[in-house]
Amino acid sequence: MKRILALVLAVLMMAAIFVGCGGGSSTDTDTSGSGDTDPFGGEDNITLKVWAPEKAKDLCEQQCQAFIEQYPDKTISIEVVAQGEGDAASALLNDPDTAADVFSFPSDQLNKLVNAGVIAPVFDEYLDDVTSRNSVESVAAGTIDDTLWAFPETGDNGYYLVYDKSVVSEEDAATFEGVLEACRKAGRKFIMDAGNGFYSCIFPFTGGLEITGLSADGVQQFNDYDEAEVVDTLYAFSALFHEYSDIFESNDPSKVSSGMAEATPTVAAGIDGSWNAATVQGVLGDNYGAAKLPTIDVNGTAKQLISMHGYKYIGVNMSSSYLDAAELLADYLTGEECQLQRAEEISWGPSNTTAAASDVVKNNDALNAIIEQSVYSVAQVNVADTFWTPMATLGEAVYKKDNAVDKDYLTEQLQKCVANIKDE
Amino acid sequence: MIKSYKFRRVLSNTLIYILLAVLGLIWISPLVYLILHSFRDEGLATVSYLIPKHFSFQNYIDLFTDTASLNFPRWFMNTLIVAIFSCIISTLAVLMVSYSFSRLRFKARKPMINIGMILGMFPGFMTMIAIYYLLKAMGLTQTLVALVICYSAGAGLGYQISKGFFDTIPRALDEAATIDGATRNQIFWKIILPMSKPIVVYTVLTSFIGPWTDFILCKIIMGDNVNNYTVAIGLQKMTSAEFFTTHFKRFLAGSVVVAVPITILFLKLQTYYVEGVTAGGVKG
Amino acid sequence: MNYLEYMQLNPFQKFGYNIGKFFKAVPGALKKFFCAIGRFFKNLVLGIGRGVGNYVSRFIKGDWATKLSYIVMGVGNVSKGQVIKGFLFLLIEVGYIMYMVFFGGAYIAKFGTLGDTARHMETVGGKHVTVAGDNSMLILLYGVLTLVLTAIFFVIYIANTKSAYKAQQTVAAGEKPIGFKEELKDLLDNKFHTTLLAFPTLTISVFTILPLIFMILIAFTNYNAQHMPPGSLFTWVGLDTFSEVFKLTDGGAGAASKGYTFIELTKWTIVWAIFATVLNYILGMIVALMINKKGIKLKALWRTLFVVTVAVPQFVSLLLMNQMLAVDGAINVLFKNLGIIQESVAFLNSTPLLARITVIIINCWVGIPYTILITSGILMNIPADLYESATIDGAGPVKSFFKITLPYMLFVTTPYLITSFIGNINNFNVIYLLSNGGPNDPNLYQAGRTDLLVTWLFKLTMNSQDYNLAAAVGILVFIVCATLSLITFNMTKSAKNEEEFS
Repeated sequence: MKRILALVLAVLMMAAIFVGCGGGSSTDTDTSGSGDTDPFGGEDNITLKVWAPEKAKDLCEQQCQAFIEQYPDKTISIEVVAQGEGDAASALLNDPDTAADVFSFPSDQLNKLVNAGVIAPVFDEYLDDVTSRNSVESVAAGTIDDTLWAFPETGDNGYYLVYDKSVVSEEDAATFEGVLEACRKAGRKFIMDAGNGFYSCIFPFTGGLEITGLSADGVQQFNDYDEAEVVDTLYAFSALFHEYSDIFESNDPSKVSSGMAEATPTVAAGIDGSWNAATVQGVLGDNYGAAKLPTIDVNGTAKQLISMHGYKYIGVNMSSSYLDAAELLADYLTGEECQLQRAEEISWGPSNTTAAASDVVKNNDALNAIIEQSVYSVAQVNVADTFWTPMATLGEAVYKKDNAVDKDYLTEQLQKCVANIKDE
Repeated sequence: MIKSYKFRRVLSNTLIYILLAVLGLIWISPLVYLILHSFRDEGLATVSYLIPKHFSFQNYIDLFTDTASLNFPRWFMNTLIVAIFSCIISTLAVLMVSYSFSRLRFKARKPMINIGMILGMFPGFMTMIAIYYLLKAMGLTQTLVALVICYSAGAGLGYQISKGFFDTIPRALDEAATIDGATRNQIFWKIILPMSKPIVVYTVLTSFIGPWTDFILCKIIMGDNVNNYTVAIGLQKMTSAEFFTTHFKRFLAGSVVVAVPITILFLKLQTYYVEGVTAGGVKG
Repeated sequence: MNYLEYMQLNPFQKFGYNIGKFFKAVPGALKKFFCAIGRFFKNLVLGIGRGVGNYVSRFIKGDWATKLSYIVMGVGNVSKGQVIKGFLFLLIEVGYIMYMVFFGGAYIAKFGTLGDTARHMETVGGKHVTVAGDNSMLILLYGVLTLVLTAIFFVIYIANTKSAYKAQQTVAAGEKPIGFKEELKDLLDNKFHTTLLAFPTLTISVFTILPLIFMILIAFTNYNAQHMPPGSLFTWVGLDTFSEVFKLTDGGAGAASKGYTFIELTKWTIVWAIFATVLNYILGMIVALMINKKGIKLKALWRTLFVVTVAVPQFVSLLLMNQMLAVDGAINVLFKNLGIIQESVAFLNSTPLLARITVIIINCWVGIPYTILITSGILMNIPADLYESATIDGAGPVKSFFKITLPYMLFVTTPYLITSFIGNINNFNVIYLLSNGGPNDPNLYQAGRTDLLVTWLFKLTMNSQDYNLAAAVGILVFIVCATLSLITFNMTKSAKNEEEFS
């Protein structure tokens, strides 16, 4: 009896193995067609997840609803989830499968997303339309290796000069020296995050340094800049900050609004991001002043500060089960109508050229200032991961009180900074 | 002679009182600052003076009512649930491991003790992505269960202090019980455990606090599932660039809400904690 | 010297004796440690040899059922009446094979190359297609998982052959093999350790050891920003990453070298760990002594003032401290009001020295309450007559602290000191939340002057995505910490006198 049982067991096990082998066939490709007439490429019963930042979430939900209503013959459900744009790329890289199908992200993350192969490019059928309706810069900044990787969503991810009109006049606001002098007269501070690469790149950029993309193996490329000129400009910044060391404070941009909101305001001006504009406007009311970045005096010539100008994009996750629907939605969300709505309701500057020319944008001081500044900017595109830390270090070298205001020192720091960004 | 001795004692005691008062003030002042500013009504994120000018409960009210984007009450409950479950499992795991290492003798014991000691020394965050994908293979990502597993899976490695404690309980007790016919299982539950209140409290306390403070692993596991966040990532989110300006005061209020129950619990159980850690942690 | 002799020494002699003993033992312990490692490998090889020998001899001596259970697990046990046990063995075998077929096999097959086609998009006849391709990271991770499971299965498989042979011998001796119930009972008594350790060992293997192996293996790949799955693959590169860590150039005009950064951060990490540990230990003990001094009233109040800070979650108190230490923060305001400083000081972000001092001081704020908690009890245990005799000899409080308290405490709390030293080497929270490594230095690669190795690792993975470099540095840190703690723990009394009560 026992022997029989044991034999039966053996047979059973062999059987299990064979069954197991037979069952293991699965396809690992994900197909989606794009038919001639159906923009969904034949997809139906579509569920999509969209990532939008907290501020834009409600509006995005409304827009998605409008999108669904456009296609009554399709079953579409869209879930909008709040996800900070700053973490969008890392959240997506963490697990593309559970991430959103359609997501909003700032331009500096594009390189990371493309490298890791998690973002689907803009499909050919949208290419002409997207290229023609958006600003040339926003399309250029979304292009790597001749491929446009995402739909431009905003044209204003940058910073500008914000000031209290009761302290700083429009004339003062034109020059850095004027702003600081006006602040000193009122005994109030000027705040800029000079130890952060996003802001401190102003110093070398103003001197003529530019980033021009990445080499094939991911090394950051620069233009053929004049080192002496860059150093002269760094020197001018350094000298200015040291002269006004009681007024100039390197601190988080959020401190601009905090300092202005106090009963006796401690801050009169600063360089702040477009995303904080509504808060500052609420604090200052009629005294809210917004302008492009000022000029700085370098060896007797007034040089316009050059900033880093970013864009926001809506991208499509390559792992999406409904690639065509996702592209269609991304296209819709970045269309003129949606961009205009965002400009009206949450003051996001459009990348769409028609929307950018509308009255809504023209009447918005902060947006105007940023658009004006965008002429004097280096596009935030193809930025290597190694860019930020060395650039922050250069910023510290320029502004810190303990550092000497010295051209040799700054030359060395600049060389180090460029070498470190290239990491070679 | 006696007088001067007494005088010296009074003098030294006075000095000590002054020192203790100053030090105590230094230690407690950040917490006082935290509490004061959590009631601050005016200003945005920060102000340039020490004591707020207007006090109100507004930050606390906002914290618990404005839950559309940052659902603090829900996160609080999540954390509580995770903390309770992971603390039960962790405590059991720690007691099981430390009892085996302290009282039972088997071949693999010594190597296991040594391996257990060094395993915890690897910087943890490199392994987080691996943990994430293991949980994903089990279909558990973005759930509270995953958090409970993460916080209690490695708990057994924290056996050292309670092993030290068990080492101090005389083995004669075990032997007597064995002679009376008790199995090792019975000895564990009926003899050792009732004597181990301090170390049990110590273990419960430390493993209960864990989930309230982790803000890295939890973020990776939860991803965009905001509903399953814990207070730690919630509070950290309030200090991120997106929310800092508008939510920093709420962050302060939230911190107080988190800190108060833990503090009360801690102060209540302090004596056990001290007893456990003294007996177990540092036995020469 | 026995304990009685030891107690007769004066405290100073005792201290010297202990220190001397400690350092005298270090070379011996080092030697013993490496001997132990050597012995481990020797035993391993011998053990494998013996195991194979036994395995073969069991097969030769086994009857048909035992022989069959070398292929179909559990047959031997079932044929001898141990039906449940046999079925369990079989179940495990079937489960393992199913796992390999449906999941693990595919990953193991690609383990050698970590994949050949990356995920990409193709346009086939106007249709957009995502070709899933391979994901090196998942191949590595699930490959390791499969290897670990295979190892576990192998152990069970050997146990199966042993069990079959044992059952055969029992039957041959004319006895009845033990039933399943008895075996379960044994698990609660003689094999109680198996029962107790099974669950923790399982969870630790899966969630600690397995990820650890994964991380160690990453150091031998080129997993970095240029090789990010799923879009591109990474592969094995041997020891290249380690040679990058040890490439020692001091920067010069070129880019910051990783080797230089590693050396600089190692130096600071050690300095930090020593200061953080020693200051917390001594200062904490002094405060504990003051609180516990005879004649001091309101002991509970004083202790509470300090201990409350332990209960507040560290990331809250440290983020708060970070705000308070900012140029416009509370501490600057306070110091200005008190007239200590005229101009704001960027405590965490001006000179490296100031930043380093600041983080060490803040760490005291964090750590001293723990020392108070831990040492209070032991301090009370120091025999009072020691102090009395010292006082009669005319020793003041300072003298008796250094001659009695400190040596006694050092003697008793060495394990705690080592643990907190290691803890400070890996003290991520304080640095990350307080200074985030700043101030920056152009000579350091992706690091600042207060970065510890452990926070550098974090930046390497988060900012520049040098996963392989981070893993390599992690391994080096681990080797140092593990060696240090294994040696010292096995040197201390607690390990030696473990059997005191048995």
